[in-house]
Formats: sequence, structure tokens, C-alpha cells
Amino acid sequence: MPTEISQSETDPSSSSSSLRQQRQHQPAGRRIGFDEAREILQKWREENARCPEKVRDLWIHCLSKCKSLGDERWLIVEQVAMAGMDLHDTSLIKECLSILESKFPKSSRVRRLKVMANVEMRERYEEALKTYDAMIKKDEANSILYKRKIAILIAQKRTPEIIKELSEYLKKFMNDTEAWLELCDVYIQDQAYSKAAFCMEELIITNPHNHLYHQRFAEIQYTIGTTESLELARSYFAQAVKLNPSNLRALYGLQLTAYTLSNQPRTVSQKKKENAKISAWATTQITKLYQESNEKSLPVVESMMANLQL
Amino acid sequence: MSELLLDTSIRAWVFLPIVIISFLFGILRHYVSILISSTKNIELHQVQDSQLLIRSRFLRENGKYIPKQSFLMRRHYLNNEETGYLKAGSRRPAQAPNPMSDPSMMTDMLKGNLTNVLPMILIGGWINWTFSGFVCTKVPFPLTLRFKPMLQRGIELMSLDASWVSSASWYFLNVFGLRSIYTLVLGENNAADQTRMMQDQMSGAAMAMPPDPKQAFKAEWEALEISNHQWALKNIENDFIGEKSNNQEVTPTS
Repeated sequence: MPTEISQSETDPSSSSSSLRQQRQHQPAGRRIGFDEAREILQKWREENARCPEKVRDLWIHCLSKCKSLGDERWLIVEQVAMAGMDLHDTSLIKECLSILESKFPKSSRVRRLKVMANVEMRERYEEALKTYDAMIKKDEANSILYKRKIAILIAQKRTPEIIKELSEYLKKFMNDTEAWLELCDVYIQDQAYSKAAFCMEELIITNPHNHLYHQRFAEIQYTIGTTESLELARSYFAQAVKLNPSNLRALYGLQLTAYTLSNQPRTVSQKKKENAKISAWATTQITKLYQESNEKSLPVVESMMANLQL
Repeated sequence: MSELLLDTSIRAWVFLPIVIISFLFGILRHYVSILISSTKNIELHQVQDSQLLIRSRFLRENGKYIPKQSFLMRRHYLNNEETGYLKAGSRRPAQAPNPMSDPSMMTDMLKGNLTNVLPMILIGGWINWTFSGFVCTKVPFPLTLRFKPMLQRGIELMSLDASWVSSASWYFLNVFGLRSIYTLVLGENNAADQTRMMQDQMSGAAMAMPPDPKQAFKAEWEALEISNHQWALKNIENDFIGEKSNNQEVTPTS
């Protein structure tokens, strides 16, 4: 199964919640209208969401016989082909690819899909890599081809090569946030935290209003764990909380970092006091959030807090 | 001034033919340009350059959100005297985009002229010649005299009310006004749209030639060189605990 470079760099909670909504308003058995199916597919395309079973269902039940899709039809067929690859549904893939090939016989995009279906899916990775190399030679500004190569390396779990290829890729396409995020993940797996932090900084620069980036950066700094990086972590957790006051993870992070800093030996007593204050503030915020959402879990949280404090 | 009554054969033989001709011509143009257009391959170093410029701009604008050390490191990477990318880029020999040396550029220009300018002149001239001198229609609102040269091309009558439209002007109104109909018939981004072509011509040579990367690099280098780092997150925690941010806290970057 071809691996895809990480799915959406935007707020994952929002997209998953919207998917949940989608699921809610299509109860089993009800026929989904043609326009609705089209809209759902379009949304998934934009969000890079992967729900192959549903895509296949929508295609088979609503869209496959429809002729009035216009140019959107080809995008949908491509999407369905990808879904088919996720499901290893060879007949579906064949159907989609033959539609696409009869329409665009010379397209490199269709060719890529064919390589994905015929070579990558059968795990003949070396052959796929060679084909992609040849394709890149012809069209060297096509970022998707580079990404396919990296995806193959990820599927094979060849970490050093992933890192090498990703950095080469990022030298060429510096503003690809997905790739930066992926590289950050790989570095974290490799426990190269300062390098991962570099990637997160890059992401923060591209979008300083995304609280998740700040939170992630702070987490990496917290993991590094020296006094300086803890202080950095505290600032970035605070920024994440500021951007999204209900970011519980960042609040916990803020509480923990401030608490650790206040217990650090060799610090000025004034700073200790300050950190203790911040930690206390974060604790009250956390309890407040739990109070608002769920009264029952409150005693659990409080006992946990007590455990954390000591 | 007494009301003019137009002959119905003007409607049948001038007004409608002009609409139909300009519409069909737009459709034809669309398909011809699809037929002869060539997809442009972007070159890798162009992508790289533009991405680099965007990244540098991000660094200037949002650099205050990352620690000072990181900001300085990135700025050094882009700006240092020997190997900085922006510096090296602005020192790179300028490849003057000479149309003669690049045959693909020549053919592109030729194709552009073939589909845009030439037919425009031919059809416009033909319409002018065939349908000249008719009063075609009337706009349903009064207009001032200044509109006369626009709406009454080909008819030099001082006494005619300005809201009457001559045949030649009707053709031009059609050429520019059919855009939404083309969108309806041919879909978005069709090539039939004359107005877009006109806009391209207005912005002229700057659009046709890729902007000189050397200049852009130099400007970006200067902008980045003078940009300072003010850490936006300094003392941010103190907002929560309600302390004045001017106390003596020493953040790791200051």
C-alpha cells in the first residue's frame, strides 16, 4: 500500500470533527444524492482525508454512472483510484485507470498513478524508484514525484535515506509545510530533537497563528530538557495557550514546564516564585476547563494534579 | 428630439449577426488556442528561487516568533557574505532573457499573436467594413455627450442622442461583454476571453519576461539585512499571572 506523506498540516482536530459530522448525516441505508456525494468527495480532496471505503461506496452507488460531472469527473476518478489502491481493489483501480488513460493518454499524472498501482502497490519499490527517477529527469519541477520517492522510503522505513531525501527535497521546495512536518516527525523518531525543533521553527515562521505548531515546538524543547530549553518551552506553551485558550495539552505543558523550572536548583528565588505562579495559574485553568466540560472527571483530575505537584 | 424608429432588418441583419459572429468567434478562438498551445515546463531553479524568496519574506515577517538564535542562524544562511543564498543569487550572472536565443519563447509569442492580436484586427476590420454606419440599438438610459465617441464609433452625427449605439461600437461592447457567457459555455479559464488578453497586453512586457531574479534577490537581501529580531514571546507568561512585563526576567535569548 503506498504511503502518503502526512495528510493535513492544518488543525487535525477540526478536520476529524468535520468527518465525524459527515458520518453523522449519512445513516446506513439512506441513498446519498448526487450533489451531496460530489460535495463530500470534493471536501475530502481538499482536506487530503483518506476514507477509502466511503469513497468507493460513493463512487459505486452515486457517481460512476453519472455523465454530468464535467471536468470534475477526472479529479474524482483519480481520487477513487487512490482509494482503490488503499483498499487493494484491483478491479476498481483498473476501471479508474482505463477511464483516465483513454482521456489523457500522455499525461504524466496518469503515468504516476499507474506506477503507484502496478509497481508500488506490489511493493516492487526499487523498480518504482527507478521509474520515478526517470520521470523526474523529464519534469524536474514536479514536486509530487519527489514526494512519491520519499513515500517509498518511508514505507521501507529507511530512516537515514528518508532524512537525506527530505532535506534534498526541502532545499528545492522550501515552503512545503507538509514536508517540513514529515521531516520533523522523522527527526523525533530518530531522537534528534534539536533538528526537529529547527523544522518546527520553520513551520512557525510560515504560520505563526497556528497554536499546534507552537505547542509542538514547546513539546520538543521540553523533551530536550535543559534549563534554557525548558524556558523556551514555557514561552511557547504560553503562546499556544494564548492563541487557543482551550488547548488543554498546551496548558498541561505549561503547568509541567513551569513546575519543573520552579523546582530547578540554582535559580533565583524570584524566578522560582514566578514559575510557581504560572504553574498554579495553569492548574486553575485546567480545572476550569474540566469543570466546564465534564463535572464527573474533576476529582480524577484533581488527584492527578496533586500527584504531579509532589 | 423626435424618437427614431429603426428598421427591423437592422435587427435581423446587423444587430444579431454581430452578436452571433463575436460569440462564435470567441468559441473558435478558444479551441484554436487549445489546439496550438504548448504547456510550459517550469524550470527547477525558478521554483527554487521563488520559494526561497517567499521563505525569506516569511522570515522577515514572522521571524519574531522564533528564538533569536534561530532567527540569526536563518538570516546568516540567507545573507552571509560568501555563501549566503541571497548574496550568491544576486551575484549570479544575469541571463538576459533574449527572445532570439530561446526559440520556444519566439513560438509562444507567435502563437499568442496568432490567436489574439491578428484575429482581433481582422474580425474588427471586417465588421467595421461590413456593418459600418448603422445605428444598431439604444441603451435604455440617457448618457452624456462624452459617451458619443465610445458608443457611436463610425457615425459622426452631432444631433444624435448619445444613448444610441452604432454597429461598430456594438461589436466592441460584445467583445468585452461576452465574458460571463463564455464562462457559462466553456467553463472557467477559457481562452475566448478578450478582456483578459487585453489586460495581459496592458501589463505588457513585465508579464511576458520573467522578472529578473537578481534584482529580487538584491532587494530581499537588503530588506532582510535591516530587519531586526524582536522576540514576540518575551515575557508572554507574565500576561497570565498579571505582572508587568518590564520586570527583570532574563529570557534565554535576550
